[in-house]
Amino acid sequence: MAGNANRRASAKTGTSKDRQAKQKTSPMLMQWRFLTVLYSVVLVFVCLAARAAFIQVIEPDLLIQQGDNRTIRIRDNPSYRGLITDRHGEQLAVSVPSKAIWADPKVVHSFDSDTGETQALDKRRFQALAEVLGRDVQSLYDKVDNPKRRFVYIERQVTPAMANFVEELAIPGIYLRNESKRYYPTGEVSAHVVGFTNVDDKGIEGIEKLYNNWLTGTPDKRKIRRDAKGRQVEIIEQHAGEKAGDLMLTIDQRIQALAYRELKEATLYFKAASASVVIVDVHTGEILALANTPSYNPNNRKTVSNHRLRNRAITDAFEPGSSLKPIAILAALEYGTVQKDSIIDTSPGWMRLGGSRVEDPRNYGKISVTEIIQKSSNMGTSKLALSVDKNFLMDTYYNMGLMSTTGSNMVGESNGIFHERNRWSEHEVASLSFGYNISVTTAQLARMYATIGNGGVKIPLSIIKSNEPALELPERVVSHENAMAVLEMMETVTQAGGSGVKASVPGYRIAGKTGTSRKAVAGGYGEEYVNIFAGIAPVSDPKIAVVVLINEPSGDLYYAGDTAAPTFSAIVSGTLQMLNVPPDDDSKTARIYSGGQDAVQ
Amino acid sequence: MAEAKFTTIKTTMLERLHIDGFLLFALMCLMGIGLVTIYSSGGQDWNLVNRQLTRLGIALIVMFILAQIPPMAYRRLAVYFYSFGLIMLILVLLVGVIGKGAQRWLDLGVIRFQPSEVMKLAVPLMVAWYISKFNLPPRSRNIAIGFVIVFIPTILIAKQPDLGTSLLVASSGIFALFLSGMTWRLIFFISALGGAFAPIMWFFLMQGYQKQRVLTFLNPESDPLGAGYHIIQSKIAIGSGGVSGKGWLQGTQSQLEFLPERHTDFIFAVFSEEFGLIGVIGLLFIYMCIIIRGLMIANYAQDAFSKLLAGSITLTFFVYVFVNMGMVSGLLPVVGVPLPLVSYGGTSMVTLLAGFGILMSISTQKRLMSR
Repeated sequence: MAGNANRRASAKTGTSKDRQAKQKTSPMLMQWRFLTVLYSVVLVFVCLAARAAFIQVIEPDLLIQQGDNRTIRIRDNPSYRGLITDRHGEQLAVSVPSKAIWADPKVVHSFDSDTGETQALDKRRFQALAEVLGRDVQSLYDKVDNPKRRFVYIERQVTPAMANFVEELAIPGIYLRNESKRYYPTGEVSAHVVGFTNVDDKGIEGIEKLYNNWLTGTPDKRKIRRDAKGRQVEIIEQHAGEKAGDLMLTIDQRIQALAYRELKEATLYFKAASASVVIVDVHTGEILALANTPSYNPNNRKTVSNHRLRNRAITDAFEPGSSLKPIAILAALEYGTVQKDSIIDTSPGWMRLGGSRVEDPRNYGKISVTEIIQKSSNMGTSKLALSVDKNFLMDTYYNMGLMSTTGSNMVGESNGIFHERNRWSEHEVASLSFGYNISVTTAQLARMYATIGNGGVKIPLSIIKSNEPALELPERVVSHENAMAVLEMMETVTQAGGSGVKASVPGYRIAGKTGTSRKAVAGGYGEEYVNIFAGIAPVSDPKIAVVVLINEPSGDLYYAGDTAAPTFSAIVSGTLQMLNVPPDDDSKTARIYSGGQDAVQ
Repeated sequence: MAEAKFTTIKTTMLERLHIDGFLLFALMCLMGIGLVTIYSSGGQDWNLVNRQLTRLGIALIVMFILAQIPPMAYRRLAVYFYSFGLIMLILVLLVGVIGKGAQRWLDLGVIRFQPSEVMKLAVPLMVAWYISKFNLPPRSRNIAIGFVIVFIPTILIAKQPDLGTSLLVASSGIFALFLSGMTWRLIFFISALGGAFAPIMWFFLMQGYQKQRVLTFLNPESDPLGAGYHIIQSKIAIGSGGVSGKGWLQGTQSQLEFLPERHTDFIFAVFSEEFGLIGVIGLLFIYMCIIIRGLMIANYAQDAFSKLLAGSITLTFFVYVFVNMGMVSGLLPVVGVPLPLVSYGGTSMVTLLAGFGILMSISTQKRLMSR
């Protein structure tokens, strides 16, 4: 190994002679060892290039997609929920900005591992946060316990003052987020109509639920590229969403407030379990007011029991009793078995149909059709109903809007309860004519009276003020002449001698009908009553149909004429004034019917 | 040899300054690429670029000065240099400053000093000095002593813990031993020994986070949000560059701060995303040129000491490149090794260019003497 010897020599001496010798042999020194190293180096570089090529040419689709997964996000522009107003623009439901406090447990935990000083500081801050939220500090720690989670709500819909405080606390990993809170300025007055939203701003009752999509709209969506800290760096696509729509109801908040106030008073005074009122514009079918007691405060539902949430006027069906009698009269008039001035013999004040008795409180003798209504004679109504073809009679009930939806589409609306039969016994027909064997809702009853008030043209009820025509077209169901005849007959009810004198409104001609029915219990009828007064005002030019229902009055008064009628009077009196309806100076208001007694039913 | 003759005939300006022009040009290319990529990955922050420029300036001055010192001087100084480094390493373990969870720095009041960097040059110097004293190829006994010379600082550095640097220091010494002509039988024996040593290293020397890195390397998807995050993000960044890249300043993964350590250890991922496969191959080519040039210098060096030293410095540089690129592209576990001359960072830059200064000294001084 000459080379080796040379190298050793040069290493030891470093003389110029050796160096020259070395220079001569240096081409030979391109030894296998250096070549091996050289080839290895080149090989490794080729491997690196191949690796890069593999990642960049073969794998990139997957990796680009993964990259996009990390950077591209769809962001919603939060849109405020639409406004709900009454027919005059009075606000019934508004959205106000609020904040949610949320935590990123991972961040919270990553700061845990910091120095002791920071930890102690954080503990004090957490304590402060717990105090302002009125919570136990341990419950907060529990919420952020899992460091794998990245999002936990601490508190929703906090006040701006609280949000500021939390912001100033500046706890690492605790953040604020914009959201909106629904506020209902009218509170319990319109609660059943408007309904409410849940904490996520989704409507879950009433109009809020029914028109949730419209009120929510769809948020603006942006496809964005974000950086690792979540900041937006580029907008890739943008979709304009549908703006949240406002909603105008047919409700007149002034009337609604009046109706609710009167109803609440009546509920207390008559010690009733519940009460409902529906006021309908007879010409348009628009619901001007719809209220129930007991109600609730939609702004604070924490302690509200479920039964208070029920919109009883549309969900609860009752046997309406005598307030249904006008249908039997109408059917008889339409069928032609009686004229409006016919005389019916109701003596001896009772009759046996099948195995059951139909009776009046006393023997009214021979009375006119008008007096049948005025005195609420079961005998007279039954005789008229029985005089009509049964199919025709049933059709009349259907035509008056019973057993079907009112058209308002409101959430939870009931169609009432009616058992269709192939064969009707005479007693069944008779009891149907005075309002048993059928259950209707307050709203259905209001629609029936509105149809009479509208001269026999049935119109669907509506709760939304809209220019779009209703799906259900107005339909003439009874002749104008007969409708007006029944209307005038019902006027006698509120006049001296009628069963609903207390429903009268000074200066106005009021038509109406009382209804006092026993509530059905298992196996028959119990001692609880439902008091209804349904009416139309003014008779001279009908504007509104109003139904007041007092459920289970447990005070001394339990006849509709004593409970529902005066409530009706108070509500209608105020409503007519608010609607600027001129008082009647007609001589008919002065007409006094003789021989009237305070009849039951 | 033709080149050697050519340069001996005509003495250029660079020759007189003991600068290897080819090497300098290639190094400058790398530095330029580094600055451009640092600007992009550092959020277009001129401060970063300026600081890097300052470091490059200092490092180039160091390189220039070291190039003036003849190889024989290095040979004489090797033992002192090595001893000094060793003492420093021990001092670091005793009174060192802790930073980023490792005890690597000595605080000298004015500057912070990282003795492990010194060892990157001291170890090959020492090994080259020791081995070149004997007749080559060395005997097994000499090789064994050579290994002792290598592993004392290696273990001290690994203790800090600084796996990346200890790896580089070890490889620099082992390359010197390898080039000295140890027999294949011995190489095989040592490899086997290393294989046996691996479990010892795993159980006794490696820290928890280092073990985690190796495990993560074997299966990065096992912990995509934790330890595997670096590797996955960096592969995504490289891959999303495609063949032609996204263009300078256009890389999303790196620009958007998804990529950790993007202007230091993972700068290759940023570069790959923005300049694509074409850029990567270009970069690899420059590195390969530098390494081949270094090997040629080693091969044409006039004495065993210079030969071993030049070869060792060059191959350490190669290990730098390979380990960093391998790590960033997911071929190797994550080890804290910067991409030489491209990554942002000070100490390693100075050491690297100091190494090239010695290389240039070896490359140019012989010619002047041989003239």
